[in-house]
Amino acid sequence: MALAFVTMAQAVDGPGARARMGDLPAFDSVMRQHERLVLVTALRLLGNLEDAKDVSQEVFLRLYRNLHRVEAANNYQAWLYRVTVNLCHDIGRKRRPSVAMEDMPELVSGAADPQQSLSGAERQRLLQMSLRALSAKEREALVLRDLEGLSTEEVARALGSSEATVRSQISKARVKMHDFVERYLRRRV
Amino acid sequence: MNCVEWEERIALYAGGDLARAEAQPVERHVAKCAGCQVLLSGLRESLALVREAHGEPIEAAHFAAVRARVLAGLERAPARRWRYAWAGALAAAVLLVGLWPRPELHMAVPIPKAPAAPAIARTVPPPHPRALAKPRPPEPVQQASAPMVVKLLTDDPDVVIYWITGTKGE
Repeated sequence: MALAFVTMAQAVDGPGARARMGDLPAFDSVMRQHERLVLVTALRLLGNLEDAKDVSQEVFLRLYRNLHRVEAANNYQAWLYRVTVNLCHDIGRKRRPSVAMEDMPELVSGAADPQQSLSGAERQRLLQMSLRALSAKEREALVLRDLEGLSTEEVARALGSSEATVRSQISKARVKMHDFVERYLRRRV
Repeated sequence: MNCVEWEERIALYAGGDLARAEAQPVERHVAKCAGCQVLLSGLRESLALVREAHGEPIEAAHFAAVRARVLAGLERAPARRWRYAWAGALAAAVLLVGLWPRPELHMAVPIPKAPAAPAIARTVPPPHPRALAKPRPPEPVQQASAPMVVKLLTDDPDVVIYWITGTKGE
């Protein structure tokens, strides 16, 4: 998914410009445009919906205070990803989640193809647990590249890293995640 | 062949992160290595699984809750700013009243006009040698309501010090 750019007309007459003048209904529509990006990214990085909601709230309050700058730069998404990742990183440093395969409860299923028979809730659980098996940097790189679909260059910009570093983090993260998923499904059968 | 050295490149290839020139050697290796074929297909399946899970919708109520909290915070913010502004204005007003010069203080101590000083000095008789040694004590003030003027003589006959006080000794 490529980053979207705001057109000149949007910059002048769009909800962002009106929100900058203190129009709260206009800011509400700005939030609606970007809320999924912020909340879901925060949820994947933190693994906890309540924390993700707190981060989303803070991201949008900061966006409101920085609307003039974000509008001028003409790129909401890059700004939102960067701030969301930074806030999650700060929270993540305080609470270091870790997961061990042994901590996972036994799953009862004897399906021939466990991957096909996973329920939505199980898939969510597997996704969150496999993300927690990664280091913070690997998780950030994988969430932005593989789940949110940013290019390696965009991920590097959001994380303040080089593209080479991001590629290395992504490849390690993919291998670790694959190992985790494989072990999870093997246990399930 | 040690396939660990291919692992990183295969992981990048699985996600489409290799340029054509980088991808070709990986494709050639995977074509003849059963272990790496399993790794590549496993990586692709894992990626598909987590992407599918990631794409599942989140309840709209969670987004609405965040928006409501943000808007409530923004609506409160201007009121708080005005409250601080009023408190600041009040503090400034109190300070101003406290520092404002009070008229009664000025009226209690009238400042003598400049020409009056030399005229008084000239009326003083020539100083006695002993009087020059130490200043003469101030004369008692009879009228409590009038400002008290104390004249001090110094060793220099041209220098006379006037000490003007209010009725309460201010």
